[in-house]
Amino acid sequence: MRKVVIGLEVHCEVMTHSKNFSASPNEYTMTPNIHVSPVDLGLPGILPVANKEAVRKALKTAMALHCENPDEVIFDRKNYFYPDLPKGYQITQVTKPCGVRGYLDFYVEDKVKRVEIHQLHLEEDTASLEHYNNFSLIDYNRSGIPLMEIVTEPCIESSDEAVAFLETLRSVFLYLEVSEAASDKGQMRCDVNISLKEEGETKLGTKVEMKNINSFSNVHDAIEYEIKRQNEVLDHGEKVVQETRRFDDTTGKTFSMREKVDAIDYKYFVEPNIPPVKITKEFLEEIRQEIPPLAFSRMNKYMEEYGLSRYDATILVKEKKISDYFEEVIKNGASYKSASSWVISLVLASLNKLEISLEEFFLTPKMLADVINLVDNNKLSMDHGKKIIYQAIKEKRNPIEIIEENHLEKIEDQNVILNYAQEAIEENPEQVRQYVEEGKDYIANFFVGKVMQKSRRQADPKIALEMIKQELEKRKNR
Amino acid sequence: MIEKEYLKKLAGKLMFDMNDEEYETLQKEFDVILKNMDRIAQIPDLKNVTPMTFPYVHETAKLREDKVEEDVVLSVGNVLKNSKHNVHDQVKLPKVVE
Amino acid sequence: MKTIKSYRKELDDGKVTSEELFQEARKKILENKEINAYVTVLEEKEEQEGNSILKGIPYGLKDNFSTKGILTTASSNILKDYVPVYDATVYKKLKASGAVLLGKTTMDELAMGGTGTTGHTGVVRNPLDPSRLIGGSSAGSCASVVAGITPFAIGSDTGDSVRKPASYGGVVGFKPTYGRISRYGLFAFASSMDHVAYFTNTTEDAAILTDILKGPDKMDMTTLEDDGKKYTETLENDVTGRKLFYFKDVTNPSYYQDKKDPILTETLTKFHETIEKIKTLGIEVEEVDFDKNLLTAIYPAYMTISCAEATSNNANLTGIQFGPRGEGDTPDEIMMDARTKGFSELIKRRFILGSYILQKENQEKLFLNAGRVRRLIVDKMTELFQTYDGLIMPASGGIAPHFEDASDALSDAYLILENHMAIGNFGGFPSITIPSGIVHQMPVAINITGRVLEDDVVLNIAHQIEKKLNFQKIKEEARCEK
Repeated sequence: MRKVVIGLEVHCEVMTHSKNFSASPNEYTMTPNIHVSPVDLGLPGILPVANKEAVRKALKTAMALHCENPDEVIFDRKNYFYPDLPKGYQITQVTKPCGVRGYLDFYVEDKVKRVEIHQLHLEEDTASLEHYNNFSLIDYNRSGIPLMEIVTEPCIESSDEAVAFLETLRSVFLYLEVSEAASDKGQMRCDVNISLKEEGETKLGTKVEMKNINSFSNVHDAIEYEIKRQNEVLDHGEKVVQETRRFDDTTGKTFSMREKVDAIDYKYFVEPNIPPVKITKEFLEEIRQEIPPLAFSRMNKYMEEYGLSRYDATILVKEKKISDYFEEVIKNGASYKSASSWVISLVLASLNKLEISLEEFFLTPKMLADVINLVDNNKLSMDHGKKIIYQAIKEKRNPIEIIEENHLEKIEDQNVILNYAQEAIEENPEQVRQYVEEGKDYIANFFVGKVMQKSRRQADPKIALEMIKQELEKRKNR
Repeated sequence: MIEKEYLKKLAGKLMFDMNDEEYETLQKEFDVILKNMDRIAQIPDLKNVTPMTFPYVHETAKLREDKVEEDVVLSVGNVLKNSKHNVHDQVKLPKVVE
Repeated sequence: MKTIKSYRKELDDGKVTSEELFQEARKKILENKEINAYVTVLEEKEEQEGNSILKGIPYGLKDNFSTKGILTTASSNILKDYVPVYDATVYKKLKASGAVLLGKTTMDELAMGGTGTTGHTGVVRNPLDPSRLIGGSSAGSCASVVAGITPFAIGSDTGDSVRKPASYGGVVGFKPTYGRISRYGLFAFASSMDHVAYFTNTTEDAAILTDILKGPDKMDMTTLEDDGKKYTETLENDVTGRKLFYFKDVTNPSYYQDKKDPILTETLTKFHETIEKIKTLGIEVEEVDFDKNLLTAIYPAYMTISCAEATSNNANLTGIQFGPRGEGDTPDEIMMDARTKGFSELIKRRFILGSYILQKENQEKLFLNAGRVRRLIVDKMTELFQTYDGLIMPASGGIAPHFEDASDALSDAYLILENHMAIGNFGGFPSITIPSGIVHQMPVAINITGRVLEDDVVLNIAHQIEKKLNFQKIKEEARCEK
């Protein structure tokens, strides 16, 4: 059994209004060449002007990945010729990346895995090429869009780990709101470096690089295929060739693109048009304040403090907005377990069914918490609670209002009504005395009124009268 | 002296070629500049100096606020104006083989 | 010689219209056809936008400034059909000042040269003596002012590309502090040393232009904040007590005894005569023994840094998104073809040199060592600027050479004397060349380089020296002798 060694290079477009080095829009569009400035086109005489927000988001992500941040913003040029690179160089970071030496923890099944982050740097995207049978077309819209590149150490050991890492990284992007990270728009792309090494061997095996894989499932399949292929090569006593391979998602196979004869010399040097801008402690502190608790730490809290299952916790932290909603429900007094089960079974189900996002969802955490509290205090049956919630969502009305107004939603649950009856009896000893000792039977109606009041007119009055009489009769017989 | 073949390779990486005579001139030029640079390398304590990239420390240099400025955005016509081969509002070139 | 102010007066007095000046300038270009100062001459005067002292006055703009809708070639075949779609900030500011663009001036190809002979439309000649060169790379702009076609012309200066030709043409060449004027739209040669610079007949005109062109630009991160000064207002400040220095030995005629170069000897002798005149202004001038190793390193360091940056800066010239499209069946082939045909030999050699310098295995010894030398020189200058207000030197060791004597090959002779002005580019120091005398019927000049940000001081000192030297009178006297 050989050990699998995987390193990932993840590219992710940064969400900003304008591009990384020019003020043209960073906006996804299918219409070619409408978001292009002279800078993005690499025309003679242009100069880059670095986007503060892009830098800020890269620093923030680096911070969330526990990286060390630099003392100043500085960029470098990476020089190479390619038709999608109009300037003939890409502005990137080598001298002082936005982050170095970090890590990301996440769960693979029930075990915590830590992936070391080598560095995170900010750069610019290239133009996009569209290939036809015998020609290619260049669209410069993407040219200059800010891009973060995250490079891991080669410490990932399986395709499952790789995918779990990518999913967690994506969740970090989304929690921080630094990127949409939509792979269908090419906003998150991944290069995979993979090698095998014999058990007990310390030296890494020959590395194969697979470029620009655009979905997590493809990353999984490409890795699985390469493990199989490289194992077969080694089993036959042959050597793995150091090369770049392309993953073809229709066949699920990888194909050799080019052998690495000698590494390309990118002739890096500091970008002279961007004077170093100091990063102050205050600026970093300001950014740090904006970082919310991330999925991994929330998950641990939900499991350890709230006693939720790993399964439920995973569901709740999947999206920050859901997790925030859940936490708001708790803040409004709902118990952990009830909040969790109502959010999962009801809120998420409704969002799915209605095909809407949480922003469009009518039911506020407070509304949900109110209903949960009534149910948990046995003032509302579970069945009724759910019905009212669905009605509230449907009619965009406050569920409490529905409960109060709508007499159709009676409480027929004898146990619930009995609770109210007992409370009313406890609170009014004089009326109890009148009923029990003076035989004033009509006093029972007084208690029905009290039960109706307590149940916000939800209790079935007939059942209420029955329960009251039953309780009061018990006292007569004492 | 630097090999002509090596210089030819460098030129190729820069996407152009020259004739033999021109490479010979370049070889001579290289000799002069490399000798000069050798002399520079002799300057005492040079190793301890931080290479200078910017003429001076620009104390007030600022990053750009993240705003779109419509007046920098070119019309599609201007994007393509200087390109000789365009199709479907895009620059056309021979197929790029990845 | 007509200054900006004299043009202004004629216009204001109604003696001449802007249109007449424009047509007259066009005519002068034709009369000076062999000078070859212009690549492109505008057929019609552009719509005038603004109002300032420059309103209605024609000027030349080096052909490496982006001008929307006007052919801009940087005197290179690879840009021979390039019509920009955006305006350089400098051009925008001049338009807003009401100045009238006459045309785009000839230059050394891609500004990488010092002779004015390497442009794709041929050599530029010195209007004072057409058998001599005017120097470069801002050759056409210099010739435009020397020939009296325009009272000022804009150039760019990466090593001495304005300040050297100014010396050969007997006009003023000024390069303000790096970042004082936006470089947006100036085709990059070596970004860390490129400056917008200009030719005028007087220091006052240079100050007028600086007041109009300076200021921060959101398109150029290296621009400085507004210093709130008007340089034209401090030209008459008292210079008594100001201190200048010059480099010992290399300015001494006896240092070159074995060269037996009478022009050099005369130029340096004139320089010392000039120093004596300057002292009568109450300015102290002292000689300083500057480390000869560092001075010798100026040129190789300049070449190293500029070629390295240039090879990257010009990597956009592939004939794909602009420029003549190359032939071939693959993108690599078409780029290869466009670049092979598009660049002259000199440019290619410089690019290969630059690329070699940046190779991983050579960076440390070549590129980074050049950067280290640059710092040592700039630090030493900054240290001297604590004592002195400026460096004063001969702008060149001689007069404009004849074409047959010109060469862009690297040579050891006069290495320091001919290349010291790159110090101004290394440190971004404000630096001005003003004519100071006549040698063999051709002008020689001094160059003054001052502290970063102190453009006003440099202009003030230069203006006072200019008045003292009264170069126009010297020139006229020389003509009489001739």
